[in-house]
Amino acid sequence: MDVLFKNVKFFAPNSPFHLQSQSLHIQNGKIVTIGKGTSPAETEVDAEGLWVSAGWFDMHAEITDPGFEHKEDSVSVANAAAAGGFTEMLCFANTEPLLQTKNALQSLTQQTKNLPVTFHAVGGATMNGEGKDLTEILDMQAHGAIAFSDGNIGIQQAEVVLKALQYLQISDGLLINRAEHLKLNDRGQMHEGLVSTRLGLKGMPALAEELHLTRDLELLAFNGGKLHVPFISSAKSVEKIREAKAKGMQVTCGVATYQLAFTDEQIIPFDTNYKVNPPLRSAADRKALIEGLLDGTIDVLVSGHKPEDVENKKLEFDHAAFGMINLETAFSVARTFARELPLEVILEKIITNPRKILNLPQPEIKENSDANLTFFKPDGTWVYAENKVRSKSKNSPFIGMELTGKVFGTVHKGQFTRNEA
Amino acid sequence: MSQLSVRHLLGIKDITEADMQLIFETADHFKEVLNRPIKKVPSLRDITIANVFFEDSTRTRLSFELAEKRLSADVINFSASGSSVKKGETLLDTVNNILAMKVDMIVMRHSSVGAPHFLSRHIKANIVNAGDGTHEHPTQALLDSFSIREKLGEVAGKKIAIIGDILHSRVALSNIFALQKLGAEVMVCGPSTLIPRYIGELGVRVEHNVRKALEWCDVANVLRIQLERQQGKLFPSLREYTQYFGIDKKMLDSLNKEIVLMHPGPINRGVELSSDAADSAHSIILDQVENGVAVRMAVLYLLASSRE
Repeated sequence: MDVLFKNVKFFAPNSPFHLQSQSLHIQNGKIVTIGKGTSPAETEVDAEGLWVSAGWFDMHAEITDPGFEHKEDSVSVANAAAAGGFTEMLCFANTEPLLQTKNALQSLTQQTKNLPVTFHAVGGATMNGEGKDLTEILDMQAHGAIAFSDGNIGIQQAEVVLKALQYLQISDGLLINRAEHLKLNDRGQMHEGLVSTRLGLKGMPALAEELHLTRDLELLAFNGGKLHVPFISSAKSVEKIREAKAKGMQVTCGVATYQLAFTDEQIIPFDTNYKVNPPLRSAADRKALIEGLLDGTIDVLVSGHKPEDVENKKLEFDHAAFGMINLETAFSVARTFARELPLEVILEKIITNPRKILNLPQPEIKENSDANLTFFKPDGTWVYAENKVRSKSKNSPFIGMELTGKVFGTVHKGQFTRNEA
Repeated sequence: MSQLSVRHLLGIKDITEADMQLIFETADHFKEVLNRPIKKVPSLRDITIANVFFEDSTRTRLSFELAEKRLSADVINFSASGSSVKKGETLLDTVNNILAMKVDMIVMRHSSVGAPHFLSRHIKANIVNAGDGTHEHPTQALLDSFSIREKLGEVAGKKIAIIGDILHSRVALSNIFALQKLGAEVMVCGPSTLIPRYIGELGVRVEHNVRKALEWCDVANVLRIQLERQQGKLFPSLREYTQYFGIDKKMLDSLNKEIVLMHPGPINRGVELSSDAADSAHSIILDQVENGVAVRMAVLYLLASSRE
């Protein structure tokens, strides 16, 4: 590859070129020159309003390969991620077989090595995701697992969370644990509140998240260690994390960008694309999440990408699966629906913070370094057209919507992945 | 106004007070028809209606079927137990199969909240919701309000207490929406575990003492304890329920006032209502059943006349 980007605006807080427009020449995956001259290249890009930053990082997308390739496979998820501007992402143990052995990790590395996105493995924390016995955490860590989690299911038993936090301290490892008290959410379909009452749908009280979160924070305070809560959704959860951080605890958390876009009112016509877990909550919760992002309580923005095929979505509401795809739209959804968030705040939550939490190197935009870059137009508008969806599943309420904030492409692992104009 | 504002009757939430008044006036007329020697009118002669019941029902299905036959519609019935039909694909497929036989209207009962709304997005026939899970049962609420109007002259300004299992009840929810639209005051009464946490935000009073509820209201609409819908035990025993929330004739008489007693049926005699209360002069339970046919005739007639 040999690409010259002309007049591209840098978002690189540690670079002398920060917020300047420069030329950027990339050859064979390396940044060769910045700003000097314009040596001709095989491909030249000169697009109005184009920005470049370090490649984006998604800390929560569901990768259903192996096991559920009909919903999404590693190729389609990588294409969707690259189209959404992500060059690196976490891969959780939501697969079948589960990502809980050295072999599974090696096969993931093998399977994804030529894809335009780096998949970082998060090993299963408990055997078979049962929330009882710990997996071989140290062995998996030695073979590339960078954190441990039971994925979509939060570990329910306090003593198991405690044991996991304790064992992970051997290697300064990170536990990622969802906050959801499953029994309090039993058969729940949406946020419990006035709207669920009017609709006669069984509610998922914010308490189910807050109770579990409070408990995990107590365990963390008691034991020490590092805890990341992949997504929170309620005002009280934001407050709990804020308090814990003020006490100096090593806790971090994220929120899915779609959580900032909607409230539970969206469920009224029973559109199953809005059925997600954690559920869309009240306007006050949404506001608290925005505040949490602004004051640094919430560290990362994630896609929360969860592919579901039509057989699992075109159904009566209570039979439909939870989740929406959002890899391709995560950034745009934040730009479009969370206007309160300045661009640099959004970028911090998808560039620097995920890598800080995971202890990974920050990609730099400087000469002679490997290019790990995302090109985007912060104010470009586009329509997420159904026939352009890269994901194998189409469960998105954003299909057909005009969105602000457009990803132009990525350069990573020596590949230039360019979105169609 | 002689037309409804909607093509389907999915819920009371979706219709206006004017729609309800139109249904009542039309039902007045049909009730008169039902008391003639020849109880049949030719209004829906060219209309085929399918009663599609994915959940058990006796009286609602019979009431609809009778209403359809009195209007001279062609009627087919389809029943399937909730357990054998788990997936919406099957629901959509089932209904599409029925529609392929050129059916004009669907009357559907389903255990899933929003099932008729889901269907209305995918098919052309007019849909009447005959109960969707714990959401709505609009024709029941219409016939309940119609019966109150018949008994007390009007609904506006009246105090109605809905007593029993509010949490699992589509009848309660539809009644709340209907009564509020018609200008009545509504109270719900029952054990706190059977009352939705946020129900007060709908603008209804909440009471846990059945005697106080009866003292307050003009009409007591007593609901069936839906043992089959309970997920986990929400109250300790039927015995305790009857002791603290059951209504008998002695209690009604001791109020020393006119009170109207309603029940959507089927009654658990000796649980929420004693037999002597259910059969007392306070009760209009059988009027409700009779009015059910007239109200359903009105709904079907008005929806059919909205067809192009």
